[in-house]
Amino acid sequence: MRTIIFKIGLFAIVLTAAVSCNDFLDVNIDPNSPVKENLSLHAKLPAALVVSAHYEATTLNQIGGMWGGYWGTSNEGVNAFTALKMYNGPAIRDTRDGIAVWESTYNNLLYYKEILDQANAEDARFYAGIAKIMMAHHYFTLVDFYNNVPFDDALKGSAVLHPRYEAGQDVYQKSIQLINDGIEDVKVASLLPTTDDVLFRGDKVKWARFGNTLKLRALLRQSEIAAQSSYIADEVSKIVQEGSGFILEDAQVNPGYLNTVGKMNPMYETYYRNNAGVAVANYANIRPTNYLISMYKERNDPRLAQIYTAVDGDFKGVIFGNNTIDNAYAAQNTSALKGPVENANSAAGVIKSFSQATVMISLSEANFLQAEAIARGWISGSLEQVYRSAVQASFNYLFNVSNYNIDTYLTDRNVDINNATNKIERIITQKWLALAGINNMQAWNDHRRLGYPAFPNSATATNPTTFPLRFMYPETELNTNNEMVVAQGDNSILSSRVWWDAQ
Amino acid sequence: MKVFYLKSCLSFVAMLCVGITFAQQHVTVRGRITDGESGAPLEGASVKIKENPRSGTPVSGSTGGFLIRAHQGQILQVNMLGYANKEIPIDGQNHDVVIKLDRSVNELTEVVVTGALGIKRSSRELGTSAQSVNNEELNLGKVVNPLLALSSKVAGLRINATDQTTGKTDPGIQIRMRGTRSLNRSKNDPIYVVDGVPLPNITRINPNDIADITVLKGANAAALYGSEGVNGAIMITTKSGKTGAGEVNFSNSTTFANVFLLPPAQKAFGQGQNGVYSAVSAESWGDRFNGEMRDFGLPINGIQPTKLYAAPARDNRLDFFDTGVTVQNDLSFSGGDAKSSYFLSLQDVRLKGVIPHDKSSRTGVRFNGTRSFDKLTTSFNANYVLFKNNTTSDGPWLSVYTQPANIDYNEAREWEDPSSPNHPLNWYNPVAGTRNPIFMANNNRNTANQHTLNSKLEFTYDFTDWFSVTNRTGYYLQAEAGRVTNKKLVSNIATRNINGTLNDSGRDFTRLNNDFMLNFRKEFGEFTTRLLLGHNIRMDDAKLINVQANNLLFEDIFNQGSRTGELSGGSTITQYRSLSTYGEFTMGYRNYLFLTLVGRNDRVSTLDPSNNSYFTPGVSASFVFTDAIAGPKNSKMLNYGRIYGSYNRTGNVTLDPYRLNLTYSQTNGFPYGSLVGFTPSLIEPNSRLKPEFVTSYEGGLQLGFLDSRLNADITYAYSDSDGQIFNAGISRATGFNSTYVNAGRMINNTLEVMLNGSAIRSQDIDLQFGINFTFTDTKAKDLYAGNEFNIFRQAYAIKDEPYPTLRMTDFERHEGKIVLDQSGNVLPSEEEVILGTMVPPYLFGFNTQFRYKEFSIGFQVDSRLGSWMYSEVIPRMYSAGTHPETVKYDRQPFLMPNTVIKQDDGTFTENTNVLSQGDKDWWTKYGAIQTTTAAKADYLKLRELYIGYALPNSVVQRQGVFKKASIGLVGNNVFIIKHSSNQIGDPEALYNQTDGYSSFRQIPTSRSFGFNINMTF
Repeated sequence: MRTIIFKIGLFAIVLTAAVSCNDFLDVNIDPNSPVKENLSLHAKLPAALVVSAHYEATTLNQIGGMWGGYWGTSNEGVNAFTALKMYNGPAIRDTRDGIAVWESTYNNLLYYKEILDQANAEDARFYAGIAKIMMAHHYFTLVDFYNNVPFDDALKGSAVLHPRYEAGQDVYQKSIQLINDGIEDVKVASLLPTTDDVLFRGDKVKWARFGNTLKLRALLRQSEIAAQSSYIADEVSKIVQEGSGFILEDAQVNPGYLNTVGKMNPMYETYYRNNAGVAVANYANIRPTNYLISMYKERNDPRLAQIYTAVDGDFKGVIFGNNTIDNAYAAQNTSALKGPVENANSAAGVIKSFSQATVMISLSEANFLQAEAIARGWISGSLEQVYRSAVQASFNYLFNVSNYNIDTYLTDRNVDINNATNKIERIITQKWLALAGINNMQAWNDHRRLGYPAFPNSATATNPTTFPLRFMYPETELNTNNEMVVAQGDNSILSSRVWWDAQ
Repeated sequence: MKVFYLKSCLSFVAMLCVGITFAQQHVTVRGRITDGESGAPLEGASVKIKENPRSGTPVSGSTGGFLIRAHQGQILQVNMLGYANKEIPIDGQNHDVVIKLDRSVNELTEVVVTGALGIKRSSRELGTSAQSVNNEELNLGKVVNPLLALSSKVAGLRINATDQTTGKTDPGIQIRMRGTRSLNRSKNDPIYVVDGVPLPNITRINPNDIADITVLKGANAAALYGSEGVNGAIMITTKSGKTGAGEVNFSNSTTFANVFLLPPAQKAFGQGQNGVYSAVSAESWGDRFNGEMRDFGLPINGIQPTKLYAAPARDNRLDFFDTGVTVQNDLSFSGGDAKSSYFLSLQDVRLKGVIPHDKSSRTGVRFNGTRSFDKLTTSFNANYVLFKNNTTSDGPWLSVYTQPANIDYNEAREWEDPSSPNHPLNWYNPVAGTRNPIFMANNNRNTANQHTLNSKLEFTYDFTDWFSVTNRTGYYLQAEAGRVTNKKLVSNIATRNINGTLNDSGRDFTRLNNDFMLNFRKEFGEFTTRLLLGHNIRMDDAKLINVQANNLLFEDIFNQGSRTGELSGGSTITQYRSLSTYGEFTMGYRNYLFLTLVGRNDRVSTLDPSNNSYFTPGVSASFVFTDAIAGPKNSKMLNYGRIYGSYNRTGNVTLDPYRLNLTYSQTNGFPYGSLVGFTPSLIEPNSRLKPEFVTSYEGGLQLGFLDSRLNADITYAYSDSDGQIFNAGISRATGFNSTYVNAGRMINNTLEVMLNGSAIRSQDIDLQFGINFTFTDTKAKDLYAGNEFNIFRQAYAIKDEPYPTLRMTDFERHEGKIVLDQSGNVLPSEEEVILGTMVPPYLFGFNTQFRYKEFSIGFQVDSRLGSWMYSEVIPRMYSAGTHPETVKYDRQPFLMPNTVIKQDDGTFTENTNVLSQGDKDWWTKYGAIQTTTAAKADYLKLRELYIGYALPNSVVQRQGVFKKASIGLVGNNVFIIKHSSNQIGDPEALYNQTDGYSSFRQIPTSRSFGFNINMTF
């Protein structure tokens, strides 16, 4: 009652001051969140980079895990990842229950676009360079999933409501140019980021190496398109001229993970345990395929026991795409990811601790990329040496040491590069083993490009030669940019190929 | 704008001076006008001096009070619609006179309606349409929510109960008047006005406190409310004290509800995969039920549990649900004298939900009081309601649709024994989504204590008999403390784990609304004039706080202090302000021709200052031709006839605060210690937004036949909302998910026909009926960025199609035949097909009340036709093998009739030999064809049924304890006839603010029966 009287009094005052109603109405400044103008670049960059890295470790890792031959599901996970296991394109594109690679990637691109615009306005070229390199990285991902995608028209908000799709090949080319520009920007920058650059702490050379590595990855992706050879040669020579070379350590992000829900390393939190140390559902759902286990076993690969737990002294996998319940595939009868709890409280292979850094590109992958480029005669160097350092980097990462002894391993007849008749196949197979669980996405890309390694397709697939080739354009695009989608023609996941996929 | 303000301020002051100057010394007659039967005060009665027609016409206010100056010996004339005229000689003693009016017969045609700002006026002078529902009609079915009671009683009004995320024992309401005007689904509600004060929400109001509800249909009728009235207004008048001896009322109502209309499930096949039994599978792809004992789940402490492999005759899913019970107790006191009145009511509602452990309660008290002092009348209303809700979140019952037919949910209630197979650690299936639903209901609780205070303070000062000033202040406060808890469960099987979590939230909302109004009323010869000038101030303030712990350490200690990891939470503050000035001028000629002009200027805080002021003009007229033209005037057949029409252009701002700038927030785990990381909102802001405008007009014809025993009202209304402000989804390649725009246009054509009759009216027999019919055609036009716009999942706005349109994938067809691939699987069509609108264009309502001596019976039937719906439960039932279709071919490969096979070269051949597998994979693909989940939503329902018996007067008179007593039986949703294609559920039940969509989260509709007792002391 007293409040009411007070309010009435207040009203009386307001009424007499009616002419000052502009002030009365001036309450539309959001008291809860800052606007873009309030924030400096170093308040924006860490978030964009962390989102990029986490996407690699979570969504992309799951798609690559299922479609790259690494993972299947246990009995407990029979209803998990069904769209991927059944090659169900329409289910994947579904807005609600699908996998939003398109949406998430363009959102992430927007974060970099906002940084780029602000960096250009403030002449902060290091930030502009990072934004360009990271944008190129995401555009590659988009093309790898959807082929033709908007580039020039993209990220303009409602100014361009129906962004025009450009040929995947053009988007690749423009993105490679973005990296060239980005490296240039970073190198000439005077204002350097510090801790806000959660990837390289403002190190110019490391960013240049990272850019070159991304470029090499993108150039190798088009290796099977004969018409691209001169373009590839030009761009490879630019990398050589630039001179910084490729990454010399794992490119990984660590914002300072905490043992708290939503602030833990995403690998740890998504596939292993939560902050109370309790296993998460994926820990029971996801299992290695029999194929992955056999590939390790064929090579007496010590990494198997470092990444996975044994069941009754042996390693047991599942069949990808199997939708039947069989006691052999129960979670407890198959090998789970090994983490600190199963490894005497010390870091295991893929799962090390809640605060482990998230890998964007591993040193091992960078070396395998160079090995392939050498084998193809694109760059000079000793194939044996680079191949060795690639395998070495994988063992070092998984065993958490600086120099794991791989001499014996390298002499295995299935591992030795010198006795391989098909050197590319050997490189890609080792790369496949090295990236397992870390950067699964590359396995699907390499499999589409080269068919290595020849893992089996889904148990529910109607035809043994059927493999998923792409994602369909998402339902959100059907709803909002329909003409463009229709103009692309067939986008079925089993019949339509992305531009660099020459079958 | 400023100039306009200044002018109005000046004119106020000028009027004040004038009023004081002209005050003269006369005999002052002051009194109250009441209903002769009930003693209730009558607002809107006009009082004048017979000898001096130019004396001005005071109108009794909300308390029935009036004030007039006269000379001794003159005669006071009191006129009130629906009542016989009354004349009283003035003898100098009439200082506090109570004038009782007797009801007249033609109350069907001419009624008093509560117009905008709570001003009572005669229906004859309205150029717009309005319909009133009184307390008795409202409380026929004894519903808890007053809005639900309006369902199907008012033409042009569509009301649906909607199940909300946490609303299992507190259902929400979707209300649409004359179609949908905004593409923004949450901005189509009318304004709710209680005793003249606009409130954000009226679900907490006790229906028994309501004297009547007037529905002002559309923007034209609610024009004085400007933007807020663009979807019409629901005007609620609460009861006030009656003059005379005090009265005490007590009533009790108890009803029992049971779920019905579940989508049917098969009972032939049990748990397993590929035709093989599995003791741990939650899907029904096993072998046929055969009545033998089988292993069920995994061994517990080394002992293998077993279960009879057979489906019970009764639908096992019904055992998951409880019988809901609603008990309402009401007690009210009222009384008053010539100067004051009071009404005090208490209500307690206890509701036990159909989901185990769900319950809610509502306890409220209302005090309405009035007091007159000389020229000043004051009234004060206060209503406090404590609402408590305790429900489980959405999850538990979803899996009831997909778990096998032999699961016994009665046994599942006994889950607490650690050695029981129903214990969450032993439940036969270890998948997180199919936990024991009874355990889940117990484990996840969502509780809220909500306090609502709604108060009004009103002063009216009668300066003279033709000029008065009113100030009405409404203060509304709602404070809610919420808590969501999940009890921790740890298992060595990861999918059984449940994190212990706690989220405490606090939500406060306050609204201060003030209307300051000047009322002028003068007669000039044959002309009557009335002018209203007003000013409105609105201040809405909201604050939301939540504190969350996502990993509790102990099973039984729900406190953020006992957690691991960091605390999370935050707060949000929202402020909204608006200032408005408005005016209404009504001129009447000989009481049969009326013209009304309305204008309102709104200024709102949510738009940029350069765009935030806008003007709403309106004009309406009404002509009672039977009074004007000599011929029909005395006709017995047609005794009353009126035509009316109106035009309005209403400005509207549906934008919430803070949508003009791009804001950033920390997500993805940020901040990590000292490292901050901000990301932008993915909704693109737009600082150039302008108000949207709704142009609407209507025309109507009202006829009274047979001495007003039959009343007909036919109205056609049109509205065109253009330049809508809405959050439009855009291509994600723009970077953003959606953007705020001024775009989109929607056109509504509405035809309403109402027929009310009083067929028999005698001492012993009374038969009344009402029929209403509404046709609404809502069409989307000129959409943002193209010809279509996705509203929600399969609901679209498509240019020139009825809104919202159901569009979905169909089977791929070739010359009408279903196309199969070479493995016999169905294929989805490349393009989606349009099925039709998702809101019913045709609404019919029929209600009747029949009384024979002490017995009465009343019922209400309604039917809604012409729309489509779909269910997302269905695909899940297909893939889980519980859908009845999946057993149609006995789970064997079959030749699907009328199909063609798609060949590699794209040609089609008649299917003569390709067998469809009829297994999980096949039926999953079949269920993914969205048209298999759709149905026509036509229905006819016996919504309410009431059978009552009142104690005869002879009995009542013999005892002195109570004055009146009655008992009754009530039923709601008594029966329903659905379209044969509809195996989905109740077409009327909605989920959140969607249309034509059955969510698997939604609880099934209930049918309820009960009784009530009423006593007056």
